Amino acid sequence: MIVQRLVSVAVVLLAAVAGAPAAPAASEEVDTCLGCHGDRNLSMTLPSGERLALFVDAQTFRRSVHGDRLGCVECHAGMRQVPHPAKPFRTARDVTLAYYEQCKGCHFDNFTKTLDSVHYQRVAKGDARAPVCSDCHTAHAVAKKNGSRSRISQTCARCHQPVFAAYAKSVHGRALLEEGNRDVPVCTDCHRSHDIGDPRTSRFHLATPELCGSCHTDEQVMEKYGLSTKVVSTYLGDFHGVTASLQRSGTASGERIAAVCTDCHGIHDITRVREPGSAVMRENLVKVCQRCHADATANFPAAWLGHYEPSWSKAPIVYGVTIFYWIFIPFVIGGLVLQIVLHLWRVVVNR
Amino acid sequence: MSDMLPRFTLHRRVEHLAVMVLFTILAVTGFPQKFADADWARWTVDVLGGVERTRWLHRMSGILFAVFTIVHVTVALVIGLTGRSWSIVPIRKDFTDAVQTLRYYLGLADQPARFDRYDYRQKFEYWGMVLGGGVMTATGFILYLPVLAARFLPGELIPAAKVAHSNEGLLAFLVVITWHIYNAHLSPDVFPFDPSIFTGKISARRLHHEHPLEYERMVGAAEHKP
Repeated sequence: MIVQRLVSVAVVLLAAVAGAPAAPAASEEVDTCLGCHGDRNLSMTLPSGERLALFVDAQTFRRSVHGDRLGCVECHAGMRQVPHPAKPFRTARDVTLAYYEQCKGCHFDNFTKTLDSVHYQRVAKGDARAPVCSDCHTAHAVAKKNGSRSRISQTCARCHQPVFAAYAKSVHGRALLEEGNRDVPVCTDCHRSHDIGDPRTSRFHLATPELCGSCHTDEQVMEKYGLSTKVVSTYLGDFHGVTASLQRSGTASGERIAAVCTDCHGIHDITRVREPGSAVMRENLVKVCQRCHADATANFPAAWLGHYEPSWSKAPIVYGVTIFYWIFIPFVIGGLVLQIVLHLWRVVVNR
Repeated sequence: MSDMLPRFTLHRRVEHLAVMVLFTILAVTGFPQKFADADWARWTVDVLGGVERTRWLHRMSGILFAVFTIVHVTVALVIGLTGRSWSIVPIRKDFTDAVQTLRYYLGLADQPARFDRYDYRQKFEYWGMVLGGGVMTATGFILYLPVLAARFLPGELIPAAKVAHSNEGLLAFLVVITWHIYNAHLSPDVFPFDPSIFTGKISARRLHHEHPLEYERMVGAAEHKP
């Protein structure tokens, strides 16, 4: 029976080659392969004992972004020969690792980016759990880019389940998953998609204000939700922001890194400030301060102006001192310079 | 009249030198914090070995500066209260001197005011320094120990202290690079450099010209008649 099938494949292949000497049309080639691989039960047993399914669903592949432009052997090079040459695969993971590099042939740019990623660092160390292209994109059902955004977060969730659970409850996650909101960030908006960095580094930590700021300083987006766009500038003007700005230069290794957005607001579990139980609500803030300033008392959180710019209504003392110096410095320096000028004028006149 | 007369004791000369050095360190380590987003600020902090070390230097210099200020004020009070000298304290004459001198500059008076040991400009700079130093010390400690400060003070005073410290520092720096540099270096009266605070001596000619009342007291009014 297998022999019969092989013969029929060979006949089809020969017919295809004879009929179109340039190259067989992709769909014809796919049909050829699916002659065998369209069988739901087609599988093989690997030396590891795993059963490797060899079935490819024709509909799924045709609907994928590659469905109308790639044939099978463009990725599965060397499989044109029937029966297929033996491959030294021991595990199902070996198979994946052997084929994912085929993506590089067309997607050189994104493939190269992944080499800088935290995932690739693990792949290079031989961590079989670390993802390669096809783990996120799938092998035969690669979707178009402009699909549903929630799919991106659900893809990451396949490995990062606890993080996804926290995100799903956050203000961003709920808007995405419950309302299909397209303004909120999904995983890749903050972590990037191919060149995903290690989020535990001080470099990533210190880049946070810029990262959050890329949406939270956008007037058009923030206006929809009644949010202030001054959150980054007010942070940078305050003590933590100054420290973070100066630590960014890079020589600060070994220093305790200044608090950034996520240290107070949370990372994946960010909530609305006014939501019950919000850690950064005025009433709860002292506990947040105490994470770093262990001895902080009830007065201490008032040192932080809550992302407000000082004004007579929000921080009258700070505003008053600002206005005082705004007048006092030009008054004093102006007066002194005027006296210098008058003195010089007198010296010149006396001569 | 080219002989030198004493003007500053060793104590005063050491104080000036200490303040000069500390002020420079405080400015170099302070301004990068005020203008943290500027490239030169990051460069300076890098050269100094990071923001923590910059702050350490700033705070140690600040503490030393505060110690010098406390010692200075204590000594000055002792000297004053034992009746030896209040010569740095502003008196009514300083205001009339200021008016007189400005009138002279404008051509409304024939002579400038006749000054005593310290003229009104020197007293202005001195008191600006002492009072500004007090503001810098008080606000500096609030910023150094904000958690402790918030035990006794409303929290809002911490950002207020930051605004005051940052602006008062800028004001002090601007006064030094305009007024002090002019009066001690660039003014035609002393150009290029008035060394008396370093040597402790001043020429009789200059003292007579700049501080005639002090000169007469020292040399004796009788000896010096035109």
